[in-house]
Amino acid sequence: MSRIITIIVGHFKSWYRSKSNIFWTIAFPLLLIVLFGAIFGNGSTKFDLYLQNQDLTGNVPTPLSQGYVNVLNQTGAFNLHIVAAEQPDPLTYVKNDARDHNRGQRLLVIPLGFNATIMSGKNATVQLYMDQSDQASASLAGIVHSVTVSYAAAIANAPDHLVVQQVGIVTRNIRYIDFFIPGVIGMTLLTTGVFGAVNTNGRYRELKIIKKLATTPLSKIEWILGMVGYQMILATISLIVILFFGYAIFGVTATIDIYTVGLVVAAALLFPGIGMVLANFVKEAESADAAANAITFPMMFLAGTFWPLDSLPEIMKIIANFMPLTYVNAGLREALIYSEPAQALTNTVIALGFAAFFIVLGSILMNWKEE
Amino acid sequence: MSDSPSTPLPGQSDKVVQVDKLSKKYGDNIAVNDISFNLTKGEVFAFLGPNGAGKTTTVEILECLRNPTGGQARVLGYDVSKRSDQAEIRKRIGVLPQDFNAIDRLTVRENINYFGAMFKHQLDADKLIELVDLKDKRDEQFKKLSGGLKQRVGLAVSLVNDPDVVFLDEPTTGLDPRARRDVWSVIERLKKEGKTVFLTTHYMDEAEYLADIVSIIDHGQIIASGTPDQLIDAHGGKKTLIIRDAGEEGLKQLPPGLPKAELRNAGDIAVPLNNGELTNILMSLGQTPLHDKEIEVRRPTLDDVFLNLTGRRVSEEGN
Repeated sequence: MSRIITIIVGHFKSWYRSKSNIFWTIAFPLLLIVLFGAIFGNGSTKFDLYLQNQDLTGNVPTPLSQGYVNVLNQTGAFNLHIVAAEQPDPLTYVKNDARDHNRGQRLLVIPLGFNATIMSGKNATVQLYMDQSDQASASLAGIVHSVTVSYAAAIANAPDHLVVQQVGIVTRNIRYIDFFIPGVIGMTLLTTGVFGAVNTNGRYRELKIIKKLATTPLSKIEWILGMVGYQMILATISLIVILFFGYAIFGVTATIDIYTVGLVVAAALLFPGIGMVLANFVKEAESADAAANAITFPMMFLAGTFWPLDSLPEIMKIIANFMPLTYVNAGLREALIYSEPAQALTNTVIALGFAAFFIVLGSILMNWKEE
Repeated sequence: MSDSPSTPLPGQSDKVVQVDKLSKKYGDNIAVNDISFNLTKGEVFAFLGPNGAGKTTTVEILECLRNPTGGQARVLGYDVSKRSDQAEIRKRIGVLPQDFNAIDRLTVRENINYFGAMFKHQLDADKLIELVDLKDKRDEQFKKLSGGLKQRVGLAVSLVNDPDVVFLDEPTTGLDPRARRDVWSVIERLKKEGKTVFLTTHYMDEAEYLADIVSIIDHGQIIASGTPDQLIDAHGGKKTLIIRDAGEEGLKQLPPGLPKAELRNAGDIAVPLNNGELTNILMSLGQTPLHDKEIEVRRPTLDDVFLNLTGRRVSEEGN
């Protein structure tokens, strides 16, 4: 055990004494967060609003309901996303779709009979589902109200014929930055893990440090455990620092649960495992570095770090399914931000499976003795 | 400690290293071919040969880093091919691999303690730092040291478990002459302390200066063994009288009866000497215009031994 601790401490000292290490593991992710947060953080100036028009005859919207939709559209205040009338559970649909596209969860429902009720001179009601804690809620509800009142006045000369019934829902209004922070954590775990292992296994081999250690009582398994232990500490530091800055700068609130821990453990095994496999296939440290770049970069972009997988072309989505980072990113997002334990569990299990595979393969491939 | 016959108590035998008909093949390539030698306690043993001769392969078999394909080798009485014995060997040997670097961003002291922590018992880092003369650099990071100082850290690291035998693989390769001398002085100190040292080198002068026993290896085979003096006496050839800067002209001015004299680079004349001839030759030279030239007697070196045995000289680049 003391040998493993010595190795962890040795790696850790080497890490914090290197300015470039600190940059890549801490400063760079923070820089990305600030940059991407500033560029995409506030999204468009229009409000996203999901709209379901249930008032159809045949498949055609009734004239008054269509007129209402047109008026809403003409305000220019909304990005209207139409939810099909036959969608039985529009709220759940909106919740998922809004999350996948980083939109606010707001739904306006025009009920069946809308046209007929107004024509009969009675008061018709539309439902506006939104979260009161949604920062946009007040202004959005205000616009919907005034549009509705003017529409009622215009069609029936009776402003109170149309009522907006506001229904509160509890949502996490996911902004881009909320989506992005877990991705940055995943990306940091990926790069520190892969490059860390390439460095400690490829470069240390070139420097004959591994050869020297192999002549001492240290065993290969102790060496690997030391490296993994160090990666876990580093992963924890990255996670804490990024979450702290995400909260301090953008108010991103995260929940750390058992799945977060599971995913950090998985990442600390998985990515060094990939690095070890690389370092053993590509013997020269510099080429191994290049190979690590070749593997981490596509993975970073395709595995849902910067943008949702849904926005990728179909073929890329299929490729992303084979990338371990996809599951780490998705798991971290579900655990930290969306608080969806069931989905986090699935992703944690898949990530742990990948982790077991790569760390075992890396360990088998690693030559401790010479051939 | 096991009772099996292959694991005698350390120190029970003076034979620290026993190598018997050892071979290592890689496919058709024979790196080490049926070599045998012994290393006795307290000796500095130099394994001398050009690059690619099989030195490192042999030393790495003794360090349990490679498995032999034939023959037997024992270190401190333990069999290098047996797994259980290998663990015992690792506890008791000190190793400086060829081209070894310690960890860049750890200080000298931290590096010594890092490698020391791999053993149950380790020597005091400060004492080792004193031994290798690095007191001023104790808290300097390894990467900031010069090549010679780095190598001294490597030496300290190789001694950290107070080993019964130290394997130093090409410890001065790539160092400037001054740094080489510094490393030599550390090895001399080890010798004075009674440490057993197994040294591989392709520097003839290094082997001659440091070693009690030298084995010359070429193409995987040992071609001669003995003390440096024994090797030189047996294979070094004659002493040579050198007349400096005599040139072509000087050759003509030589007294008669020195037919084997030859002109060497830079215009020196070399005259092979038979025993007892020196006084006569010097007296006859006094009668010639060469009497005011600088004259020296050169003793053959291990370089000459290697040349006479193989027909080649060992160069830094290998041969």
